[in-house]
Amino acid sequence: MKNQKPETKRKKPEDKKRSASGGAKSKSSKPAVNGDFEPKIVGFLCNWCSYAGADKAGTSQVKYPPNVNVVKVMCSGRVDPQFVMKAFEKGADGVIILACHPGDCHYKEGNYKAAQRHRMLLKLLGQFGIEKERCRFDYVSAGEGDKFVKVIKDTVDTIREMGPMKKTKKSTSERTE
Amino acid sequence: MKTGVYFCNCGTNISDKIDSEKIREEILKLPGEIRFRTIDFMCSEDGKEALEKDLKENGMERAVITACSPRDHENTFMRVLSKAGLNPYLMQMVSVREQVAWVTEEREKATEKALRYTNAALKRLALQDPLEHKEIDICPDVLVIGAGPAGLKAALSIAESGRKVVIVEKTPVIGGMPVRYEELFPNMECGPCMLEPVLGDVLHGEHSGNIELLTISEVMDVVGSYGNFIVKIRRNPRYVDADKCIGCAECMTPCPVSAKNEFNYGLDERKAIYLPFAGALPNAPSIDNAICLRAKGRDCRLCKDACPVEDAIIYDDAESIIERNVGAILVAVGAGVYDCKKIPNLGYGSMPDVYTSSEFERILASNGPTEGEVKTAQGKRPKSVAIIHCAGSLDENHKEYCSGICCQYAFKFNHLVGKKLPGTKIYHFYKELSFPGKEEFTLYHHAKEDRNTAFVRYRDMKDLKVEKKGAKKAVTYKDASGKKGSAPADMLILCPAVVPAEGSGSLGNILEATHDKFGFFEELHGRMDSAQSKIKGIYLAGACQSPMDIQKAMSQGMAAAGYILSGLVAGRKLEIKPITAVVDADRCSGCRVCMSVCPYKAISYDTEKEVSSVNEVLCQGCGTCVAACPAGAVKGNHFTTDEIFAEIEGVLA
Repeated sequence: MKNQKPETKRKKPEDKKRSASGGAKSKSSKPAVNGDFEPKIVGFLCNWCSYAGADKAGTSQVKYPPNVNVVKVMCSGRVDPQFVMKAFEKGADGVIILACHPGDCHYKEGNYKAAQRHRMLLKLLGQFGIEKERCRFDYVSAGEGDKFVKVIKDTVDTIREMGPMKKTKKSTSERTE
Repeated sequence: MKTGVYFCNCGTNISDKIDSEKIREEILKLPGEIRFRTIDFMCSEDGKEALEKDLKENGMERAVITACSPRDHENTFMRVLSKAGLNPYLMQMVSVREQVAWVTEEREKATEKALRYTNAALKRLALQDPLEHKEIDICPDVLVIGAGPAGLKAALSIAESGRKVVIVEKTPVIGGMPVRYEELFPNMECGPCMLEPVLGDVLHGEHSGNIELLTISEVMDVVGSYGNFIVKIRRNPRYVDADKCIGCAECMTPCPVSAKNEFNYGLDERKAIYLPFAGALPNAPSIDNAICLRAKGRDCRLCKDACPVEDAIIYDDAESIIERNVGAILVAVGAGVYDCKKIPNLGYGSMPDVYTSSEFERILASNGPTEGEVKTAQGKRPKSVAIIHCAGSLDENHKEYCSGICCQYAFKFNHLVGKKLPGTKIYHFYKELSFPGKEEFTLYHHAKEDRNTAFVRYRDMKDLKVEKKGAKKAVTYKDASGKKGSAPADMLILCPAVVPAEGSGSLGNILEATHDKFGFFEELHGRMDSAQSKIKGIYLAGACQSPMDIQKAMSQGMAAAGYILSGLVAGRKLEIKPITAVVDADRCSGCRVCMSVCPYKAISYDTEKEVSSVNEVLCQGCGTCVAACPAGAVKGNHFTTDEIFAEIEGVLA
């Protein structure tokens, strides 16, 4: 599934990488280059703020795309970089890690650890040929149902524009062997 | 493994958006013995009954609950599982209402997403371990460090409930700072009189039998955790048996040596056998071994000879280390004041008649060094007094915060100086004024309406300078509008920033309790839990946590007492939730990365075995150490790496 139209897709992420360095802004003005592509995204949400923020969006019944699949952890500090790698390995086109705002962590400082690990992770992802825009870190509090929805929409739009995860040459060749 | 998937329709909240028939069809294709059933309103009494019955009748071993958010009803359904004889941790809830049905536009997409979630839950559930709540015995007794208003108030309430309380106080007196103040803001109550009922009850009240008061004592070491601390206390000798002593003070007059009285900030002297001030409690003197002639090898017995009670004075009293077992520790060691010598332009320490507010409180007190008389070093009555507010507070070069109490006592001083020395000109130099509350404004209004009181607002401490003009002193200033001026000041009272008490750093190290960036004991949460430290079982009250007045300190003492009384109940065990981290000692290489990331100091290192281990009482189950362990030796119960991997695979399948 990820390998559909490999030639055209390969270029897209590169283009996007340049334009999206400041974030995912151009989403609505650039509609549906990959309109039929439904990205698979895994979202790691901390139990106390971000998961509660997702619930808040739920009780407000605000609609958002169904592409983000939530995996709950007690604290964003639990998000092992391996989880993100596993998600990409298993076919995710994007990953988001949502944490409590600085100073709000239920476990005092797990969110800082998560933020630090995310920065490290971005470097690692580059070495695997995965664009850093595919792995987003953000803060969503229990009250921020609106922000949760915005983050989800932005992320889905960004990944949709980037297209499916490309396979690195190595992994494709390994697979064919 | 027989697994039941129970799908709650939630009226039509879920069933409107998610096709349960499609889910049934798809999950029954999965390997394993899976049973699918829909239930209307699973959280209702009927729903819970139906779930319990179904689990039992069909011999289910595990359950996926496809319903609302686990934040709503996870506990509800865990109880149902327990009632049905299943381990409640063999359940996984899928939030298809809040996170699918209510937020997804199209029914088909919602159904697909619900299916992915259910699939993930099934995969994860297959790996979940049954977990048990552990229970440990606790000691309901309490250690209170510091015998000020906050500590005593808490100690008394805890003792009233029948608990044993050990109070450790560094000085020979109890009552903290306010017993040294003649009058208190905002209502000019007498400090010692106001506190007397609390002090009296602690010493001789109905429940004083539950209180062990250790004065001139210090906490040396603390081991253990919430529910079971072992505390080592050094009890320094008083050389006077406080139970036998009748407090007549006959012993003090004949004593031939004296030293500066630290309780009056060195403004007068006291004997080697002394009471810090008249009326100090416990009403028994102590001997200062640093100056007592006997400690220098001389055979002086003058105090003992003067004492009318046999054996009240014990020359061979000695230091002892005692050990106490407590379940909780309350830190109430109070605060200190900023060293005003660090603001040299105010003349403190270099010019006469420049006092800190603490010193001036003693000058005002009838049991103080001047017996309440306000006079200059030359013995004259001051004609002008300058009160410098914000001395070190709200100042990025000193302390950034507002100390909160200074404005109120400054206007109290205004009132008292005006009363003692009518006609004295009083100048208030202030950066900001702050006295929130329903009673706290009155003294300010008195000052504002007083013809002899003037206000000068300054912007920066550098804009003030205390200078000598001949035999007199004056404050030369540039006010907030830039206007320059000078005000005579025969006497100056500085309102220094409230700072952490001396020794609170080392006490923090002993307790492993953290400090904030200013050095105050750090609370668990500034608004929600300011009476709890970041270490479970160690509570905070009074100015050791933040600058505060007596009212707040008393309330915080009671708040801490409330936590302790509700958390530790005699005969009840402490329940430990099983979602904690566990170190696999065989895989642990002893690198201690886990210890550095644990926010609760729940991990300790066994130097002999060279492995780390998690204290499950302290562990809150965040999993940060699990993610940090480079050897994968730490397992996060209920959120194991394998479980989360399975969930990731499940949602992406």
